[in-house]
Amino acid sequence: MENNSEKITIYVMGKKHMVPEDLTIMKAMEYSGHQFTRGAGCRGGYCGACATLYRKKGSYKLEGALACQKIVEDGMYIAQIPFSPAEKKTYILDEIKPEAATILEYYPEVSRCLACNTCTKACPQDIMVMDYVQASLRGDITQAAKLSFDCISCGLCAVRCPAEIVPYNVSQLARRLYAKYIDGPSEHVLERVKEVEEGVYDQDIKELMTASKETLAERYNTREIDLNE
Amino acid sequence: MSDYISGYPESMQESLRKVAESRANRVGKQFTPMTADERHKVLEEYHPDWKMDQKRELKVGPCKGELMPHEVVDILEAHSVIKPEDIDLSNIDYDVDVLIIGAGGAGLSAAILANDNGVDPDNILIVQKLRLGDANSKMSQGGIQAADHPKDSPTLHYLDIIGGGHYYNKPELVEAMVKDGPDIIKWHEELGVLYDKLEDGTMQLAPGGGTSRRRMHSCKDYTGVEITRVLMDETINRQINYVEFTSAVEFIMDDKGQVAGAVLYDMDTHEYKIARAKSTILATGGFGRLHIQGYETTNHYGSTGDGIVMAYRAGANLMHLDSTQFHPTGSAYPEQIVGQLCTEKLRARGSQPLNIEGELFVYPLETRDVEASALIRECYGREKGITTPSGMKGVWLDTPLIDIIKGEGTIEREFAAMYRNYSKFGIDIRKEPMLVFPTLHYQNGGVEINVKCETNVPGLYVVGEVCGGVHGKNRLMGNSQLDLYVFGRRAGVVVAERAKTAEIGKLNLDHLDRYEKWLKEGDVETDRKSPILLPEYRGKKTLDHQLKLL
Amino acid sequence: MTKLAYYPGCTLKTTAKNFDDSTVASAKALGIELVEPERWNCCGTVHALAKDDVMHHLAPVRNMLRVQEMNSEGQVDSKEMITLCAMCYNTLKRSNQTFNEDSDKKQKIQDIMFKEEATYSGSVEVKHFLETLKEMGWDKVKEAVKTPLTGLKVAPYYGCLLLRPRGIGIDDTDNPRIIEDLFEALGAEVVNFAYKQKCCGSYNTVHMKEVVGDLAHKILKQAKDGGADILATACPLCEYNLGPRQEQVKVQYPSFDSIPVVYFTQLMSLAFGLGDEAMAFEANRPDPRPLLREKGLLEE
Repeated sequence: MENNSEKITIYVMGKKHMVPEDLTIMKAMEYSGHQFTRGAGCRGGYCGACATLYRKKGSYKLEGALACQKIVEDGMYIAQIPFSPAEKKTYILDEIKPEAATILEYYPEVSRCLACNTCTKACPQDIMVMDYVQASLRGDITQAAKLSFDCISCGLCAVRCPAEIVPYNVSQLARRLYAKYIDGPSEHVLERVKEVEEGVYDQDIKELMTASKETLAERYNTREIDLNE
Repeated sequence: MSDYISGYPESMQESLRKVAESRANRVGKQFTPMTADERHKVLEEYHPDWKMDQKRELKVGPCKGELMPHEVVDILEAHSVIKPEDIDLSNIDYDVDVLIIGAGGAGLSAAILANDNGVDPDNILIVQKLRLGDANSKMSQGGIQAADHPKDSPTLHYLDIIGGGHYYNKPELVEAMVKDGPDIIKWHEELGVLYDKLEDGTMQLAPGGGTSRRRMHSCKDYTGVEITRVLMDETINRQINYVEFTSAVEFIMDDKGQVAGAVLYDMDTHEYKIARAKSTILATGGFGRLHIQGYETTNHYGSTGDGIVMAYRAGANLMHLDSTQFHPTGSAYPEQIVGQLCTEKLRARGSQPLNIEGELFVYPLETRDVEASALIRECYGREKGITTPSGMKGVWLDTPLIDIIKGEGTIEREFAAMYRNYSKFGIDIRKEPMLVFPTLHYQNGGVEINVKCETNVPGLYVVGEVCGGVHGKNRLMGNSQLDLYVFGRRAGVVVAERAKTAEIGKLNLDHLDRYEKWLKEGDVETDRKSPILLPEYRGKKTLDHQLKLL
Repeated sequence: MTKLAYYPGCTLKTTAKNFDDSTVASAKALGIELVEPERWNCCGTVHALAKDDVMHHLAPVRNMLRVQEMNSEGQVDSKEMITLCAMCYNTLKRSNQTFNEDSDKKQKIQDIMFKEEATYSGSVEVKHFLETLKEMGWDKVKEAVKTPLTGLKVAPYYGCLLLRPRGIGIDDTDNPRIIEDLFEALGAEVVNFAYKQKCCGSYNTVHMKEVVGDLAHKILKQAKDGGADILATACPLCEYNLGPRQEQVKVQYPSFDSIPVVYFTQLMSLAFGLGDEAMAFEANRPDPRPLLREKGLLEE
């Protein structure tokens, strides 16, 4: 199909290209002849593989975006940051506790936070990154987990942080601590697991497994549907 | 709507007005579900799987004669990217107990369980074409099924799966799914996955297309992101070996007829490497990026069907590859995100599909194949779709109903990703509907396995979307997220046991010569090579990916 | 119930949780509801105490902006921002002063306050909780007392940051009365001692604990010689250096006898009869409870 859109100029890693104005950064780079190995993933804003820094024409500001989500603009300078060599601490979740000091024990650099908010500004997911780093600093694991939930670990916050904090790894620890220890397991799930182990459903399922297709269809088409909450 | 600036073009405004005007009257109303006969009819007339000119018989190998989409036959009827004589099998780069190809939900689960069951982290190798966790697993929005609510049961789950799959599913695999389901949720919670809960601490459960109970567990609309990142974190914490940007291109066999590892291709340096393994787990995902019948896809960049090609060359049996899942609701507008997934949970929480007149025309929670067919019929059979500036058609998915029914703030809270995504293009889905059309979503069939994830080739285990038989010929929402972990974990246990006794013989690539013979016997003359590893979108092809329909 | 914006600071949420709990409870007993901003960050002490740089003011000013937002949304009854930790108080107050007095700097700070919807106007008034009590009147405090601290000899300890520099301090730098007045209202016997404004050793506690051991010994011994049973402070770092650090004092001065150190709000909670949860004495080292039981102020 023909694309009749206006062509605009973009600079990919400094090199000039003319591309249709309505493309995302990702598609504009492909249009201009790049095949991605790094820097492309789900192409839908979920995986964080396509973290990109860009600068608009006439501006001195470096801004962050996901290449699959951001539309190109005339005169835009683009550089992908597909990898951040950020440190991730290793730990055994079963052996640590959801205490105020736990996060600082693994990531002491959190206490260097200047509250400058550069991380929040860089986040393509509009997460209040600085607020969850600060919550981690004062040991508020619940708040850190909830505020950071939409993080897709693209790494732009870590690249921009003047205090050299890796917010997305800090928040991963906070979320796992919160989910496992503070939120905790659901009783009805544990109950059902026990029932299955005791073989409560074995007979019924065996019956379905050996039923003829006709019998199954009959059972399926007449099954009771209850979608009430 | 008074002060609101619509994100849609003028040409759609009249229809949008009708939608807005009829909204209040539609609250609480529902279109009647179809009868079994009506379902059969709409599938036969409108489902892409029933368009026989879009398929052909495979001419090579043990599955010769089976009908598959042209795009799948194309990658199977192709030469290997390597020549056996160019590969030095005596120079082993990685020598391990367990080789896992693919690092999505299934591969990571297999790695963790292999480690739990005694395989040293150094004796596991995960190879991944892109980054760790880069997979469709991460893209799941709506949720994961498991029958753990007191009103629900594994038996009902069984019935829903097998009926939804049109009775083609392998019963033993369905049994494994429904019985392992609750334990998967328990495992996730122990690992620190944060599921949505009600105030009393019970799971917040939603229905899905074709489910008889509320059974969908979710993590906002980042379900796949949340589960995958926890599994990644756990894999790294355990210091399990993984190599990114390294793709398997062919299996290596030994003189006992076992799969004994794989030839790897370094995507950065373009070198081939040899991995020898006692057991090999294939977890490469599906084929969405083959764009079956020209459809746009919800799939990850790496979903190019590599696994079925490698397995078939090694002699593994394929099943149900004639069947493809089209998700009823992919974006149809704006252009930039055409084909992207609009989760089924949007319908489960109350939004309705509407035609150009703002009328209801289908029960919102039919099984995916039926729902998709009804949307195609509305656009191309009844001509009641909405046309976009690029000529594509779609129907409305009336999302503002969600906040009306479930209370203000529900969309922002439960559909954070979707809300954010559309906001970037000037559309506020709390106030305006989404324009949707079916999109290529899932590979229903694949390599045949049993409950131990074994194939007919010793040493080869297959898990996740690349395997076949679990979902029959139509998968229900939330069951692929479940199958990743059910079979990933099972494979991990099985290969850990096998590592204690298995012995590898002399390595060879003779099966590639055998495949060349099959190509000749099938009179296939082609210069196609596979696996293709990455889709091709350079230059004009960027713009070419639009729907070619009917 | 008067609602006041309350900035607790990081320490009161971690190691000085008992300071937080006892304050909120005491304030409530006096008809004050302390309302925490929904969003807040570190007061910025480490950076703001360094030689001036605009960057150092971002953290404190951002917190004052949060309180300004509470004001404009009508969540609280005054422009005041109540703080407890001496470090937070000092940092916030000084930063606020700089912001209001240096228009050039004010502009620069506003320019780099990334991603804030509102602009800070300088309108917030930073206050220490002791000032709030004083303004409210000691009579009012006296009315709330259920168990007068009769017979308890309390040495008030100010440390550095509550009183210095002049203009920032909450009371006369040389002759402060504010904690003394409070304890008189609570019915205690106030012990005046020379080292009540002496530095506790501050962050030297991290890498030079001998320095802190020396200073703490001087301060505590003076208080004891003056007849004190217990020290009351208003700063988590002072509490740590004078309390738990007594272990170090004993290493350096084996004949030293320990003396309890608590937050002033804990003794307020005791006097107001607010219960164990508010007093939270279990977190203090040395444990003040045996002394308080001996004095008949705490039940066995």
